Amino acid sequence: MSDALGSDALGPIGRTVTMTGRRIRISARDIDAVITSLLLPLMLMAVFIYLFGGAIDTGTAYVTYVVPGVLVLCAAFGGSTTAIGVTEDMKGGIIDRFRSLGVGGTSILAGHVVASTLRNLLSTALVLGAALLIGFRPDASPAGWLAAAGLLTAFVVTISWLSTAVGLLARTPEAASGFSFFMVFLPYPSSAFVPIDTMPGWLHGFAEHQPVTPMIESLRGLLLAEPVGNEPWVALAWCAGILTVSVAASAALFRVRSR
Amino acid sequence: MTTATTTTTSDRAADDHFLDAPKAEDLASLLINKERPPKPSALSASLTFGWRTVLKIKHVPEQLFDVTAFPIMMVLMYTYLFGGALAGSTSEYIQFLLPGILTMSVVMVTMYTGVAINTDISKGVFDRFRTLPIWRPAPMVGYLLGDVLRYVLASAVMLTVGMIIGYRPDGGPLGVLLGVALLVIFAFSFSWVWTMFGLMLRSEKSVMGVSMMVIFPLTFLSNVFVDPKTMPGWLQAFVNNSPVTHVATGVRELMAGEWPAADIAWSLGWSAFFVIVFGAWTMRLYNRK
Repeated sequence: MSDALGSDALGPIGRTVTMTGRRIRISARDIDAVITSLLLPLMLMAVFIYLFGGAIDTGTAYVTYVVPGVLVLCAAFGGSTTAIGVTEDMKGGIIDRFRSLGVGGTSILAGHVVASTLRNLLSTALVLGAALLIGFRPDASPAGWLAAAGLLTAFVVTISWLSTAVGLLARTPEAASGFSFFMVFLPYPSSAFVPIDTMPGWLHGFAEHQPVTPMIESLRGLLLAEPVGNEPWVALAWCAGILTVSVAASAALFRVRSR
Repeated sequence: MTTATTTTTSDRAADDHFLDAPKAEDLASLLINKERPPKPSALSASLTFGWRTVLKIKHVPEQLFDVTAFPIMMVLMYTYLFGGALAGSTSEYIQFLLPGILTMSVVMVTMYTGVAINTDISKGVFDRFRTLPIWRPAPMVGYLLGDVLRYVLASAVMLTVGMIIGYRPDGGPLGVLLGVALLVIFAFSFSWVWTMFGLMLRSEKSVMGVSMMVIFPLTFLSNVFVDPKTMPGWLQAFVNNSPVTHVATGVRELMAGEWPAADIAWSLGWSAFFVIVFGAWTMRLYNRK
């Protein structure tokens, strides 16, 4: 690997691919994390559908209402675990080894993000498969499916970059893992599990205008072939804003931390 | 001649030394000028170990997070985020939810008994306890008595938060006390399950893992959050017969000023079962450890 990394023939994209491969191999060996990232969304989905579903009136079958929210939660939680990997790399001294081989920070961090995106798209697909088994029936057209997949990918990439910045900021993996709990909690005060109008008035402002809500509403509309209005554009605007800040912060923090 | 003289001198020195050595009885009379203290009673020994558990809470206050912050977060989250959807209004839902969350949080805290025992075993202090001339189960009962304080504290915190956000128990102070008493009895009994695992498993992490695997399904698959009538039929069968459901219903109705005889009987029956089965198993493991 060191020869390949050090060679000039391998451009930035090649190095990023190598770094991505490294992260995927590390992820595959961390069985606990793989199981958690799959089981947590599945358990939450089962709890909400079977325990609360009968008591919550959403005007449609509850499984149909809740699955888009669970998909976003799955993507948010999965993307947020990138922070732990980044912190471990920064703490372990491997970064200095890569730098001595002429690998730039961009390739190292992009490797984390690409690996996270691939890993999370896979886990999201598995959660969607489980949802279909327990009664989720989407009416989306091929274009709707494509748009939903695109939005979800944009969301995972955004969360992964944000998580990378948090990982560079955190000094220990334990501190970094706190971010994943925050990301699991974020979909709760949104339209993920219950309609916002059932919440107290003082919560409406936050629930309606936080970044997760337009993403969930867009996915729900696209998967159920319902009108989505400008929600996808709002969701993409949030992604673009967070992504810009996260990439800039990651670059600055990486320079400071690897000095 | 010199040798003989030396020998004689050394013999005399040995004799003198022998004559000077104090007798054991003389030493005893000097050191112990009063009667040996009586062996501590079972209650006294248990309370001493209980106090040790309380002191551990004082020195490691982080362990109170699960007794305070976690239940508060749960009650606020479920009341304000889901209350309107589950019961029509948050004020209505808090009346149903609070006794349930109270039950859930206290039942969750019971697992720390097993963790504490396992930690003491790994540190070696447990072997020291077993050499003491005290009632055999005292350390075990002590852990549980100390944890009773934790359960009462959790209940007090939850009820205070509940009252602030609109919970109004129709049973008044007596109903609340009876509800908390039922819950504490159940939690004390249920803790014997974790004392058994604390003795049986090798690491603190294993005890936590097993506890979570049992407690999370047991507390969520109950009537803590919603009425089982809204659940699928196959799930109702389990939920309606869960010990946590009986306790939650008992606590809920006692605090509402009613007397749920059947649920109280079931709760106490489950409590007796846990003490008889897991208490006996714990002592068997403890004596063989």
